[in-house]
Amino acid sequence: MAERRAGAPRGVRSRILDPGDTALAAVLLLPAALLLSLVVLYPVGKLVWTSFTDLSLTSGAPAAFVGIRNFRWMLEDATFRQSLWNTILITLVTVPGALVAGLGLAMLANLPFRVKWPVRLSLLIPWALPLSFAGLIFAWFFHSEYGVVNDILRRLGFEGVIWFNSPRWAMVAVCITIIWKTASFVALILLAGLQTIPRSLYEAADVDGAGRWRQFVEITLPLLRPAIAVALIFRTITALQTFDVPFMMTRGGPGSSTTTLAMYIHQNTVSFLDLGYGSALAVVLFLISMLFTALYLRMIRARG
Amino acid sequence: MIAGLESISSGEVLIGGRVVNDLPPRERDVAMVFQDYALYPHKTVFENMAFSLRVRGARKDEIRPRVQEAAAMLGIDALLDRRPAQLSGGQRQRVAMGRAIVRRPQVFLFDEPLSNLDAKLRGQVRAEIKKLHQALGTTTVYVTHDQVEAMTMADRIVIMRDGVIEQDGTPEQVYNQPASTFVGGFIGAPAMNFLTVTLDGGAARLGPQALPLCPRNAAIAARHQGAAILGIRPEHFRPEPGPHPLAGTVQIVEPLGSDTLLHIGTEGGTVTARLPPDTRASAGQRIQLGVDIAKAHLFDAATGRVLA
Repeated sequence: MAERRAGAPRGVRSRILDPGDTALAAVLLLPAALLLSLVVLYPVGKLVWTSFTDLSLTSGAPAAFVGIRNFRWMLEDATFRQSLWNTILITLVTVPGALVAGLGLAMLANLPFRVKWPVRLSLLIPWALPLSFAGLIFAWFFHSEYGVVNDILRRLGFEGVIWFNSPRWAMVAVCITIIWKTASFVALILLAGLQTIPRSLYEAADVDGAGRWRQFVEITLPLLRPAIAVALIFRTITALQTFDVPFMMTRGGPGSSTTTLAMYIHQNTVSFLDLGYGSALAVVLFLISMLFTALYLRMIRARG
Repeated sequence: MIAGLESISSGEVLIGGRVVNDLPPRERDVAMVFQDYALYPHKTVFENMAFSLRVRGARKDEIRPRVQEAAAMLGIDALLDRRPAQLSGGQRQRVAMGRAIVRRPQVFLFDEPLSNLDAKLRGQVRAEIKKLHQALGTTTVYVTHDQVEAMTMADRIVIMRDGVIEQDGTPEQVYNQPASTFVGGFIGAPAMNFLTVTLDGGAARLGPQALPLCPRNAAIAARHQGAAILGIRPEHFRPEPGPHPLAGTVQIVEPLGSDTLLHIGTEGGTVTARLPPDTRASAGQRIQLGVDIAKAHLFDAATGRVLA
């Protein structure tokens, strides 16, 4: 074979039977590339195209190209602004919230328990639970009459809160639920990070005279930074796409005080059947998510 | 236990006359050099060395000269801005020592500090540690599995087995008067040879062969009957048979240049003899070697403790 490669030009038949490295790579990648195009590139392309049209399933008229009209509308749309702000607020509150709670859980799970599996399992359960289940469960927890939260508040001598009647308290309930649901995911990533820190560093710090808090600040946090970065980016991207929890708990209310961008997209496309405007909203969400994904990729590359 | 990283179940640990059992590591005034160095990977060499002083509240203008002094002593003053990942094994080892020196503690604790270095570097750093110890004069507890390190560096060796002290003494004592077969086998390379013998009226029997003993061992043998272990160091064999020959068959010949090692099969088991480099022998050859019997040791066959 080596002789043939070095020798005379090859025929079509031999090229098919014995392709070069580049050709072979292309052939092997082709099925995956086709599949990716089908399930990612085509829908995204279609979405972007639709965002420049007035496609609406209620009018019955064929879609017409309207340029950036849908995007101009957004600037005047108070609900869009509200849902964008809600999305940002949820991201700003639940991402750091889940990080702090997750770090606490991870440090707890990293303690030298004799039996480790109940601790790990209790970490995994909230993570494995579907988001909509968590939403339903917490909707009951925060129920103004029968909810456990108000029950505890009353037993402690406080007045119960009508959680879902007040824009502020509804947002608080949604954020608490999201933090509970997502802290375990953050905890799992951070636990993996914690386990890579050698015990001897803490022993060295013990001998060096550093107390527990100092060890946490000077050793744990700096060495956990890569894991924290990964957890933060993943959590931020999913927080920007928040849908299930507020949908199950408040349906976006009262008013649109807990409506997120993803919910507003759902409302426009599924409820109002306004696919043109809904697609334009989806493109905005896509771009925001892309921005964070690019940031994530850059950080990963910088680390590598 | 000395550093305070493990709890003490019984007994007392005293440092400078003070019982430290209940003191946390930071209050024991012990500086430790870890087997894996345990350098903080995100801190520079300077920060690693300065850390203990910083957490103890030392002033900046006090920290810098002390770190620089220790770094100069160890020849790592050009590396102060680097991180541990940018250093070689030997350099990391020096930084770990520097971190301990900066503290000026009452006691240094070295936990197998050379085990991660290659043989050449190990010899070099071993000499440096010894020089450093002579310069500082600080009490140093040096944990090692390497008998060469133990012999060359210690003023006093404590040999432990399964958490129990087997023998405590100067290097000469543990070499010349091993308290047990474990100590005899641990100190010295190649290890001490152990032959199972039968004590009979002041002589040691090795199968049909009788090995007359020196007066000291003969007196011991007279007090004990039956099976015993005769310990002979490889260097206590002589090429000429002399008055106390040991017969056997040469199995392996190892010429080392400085001397020649013979592995010989005898009635009591295989022994290794360290002989002059010009010794001529070949595998399979029957040989008779002299034994410097005054330097042999008798141990209890059951407990391994030296017979008295």
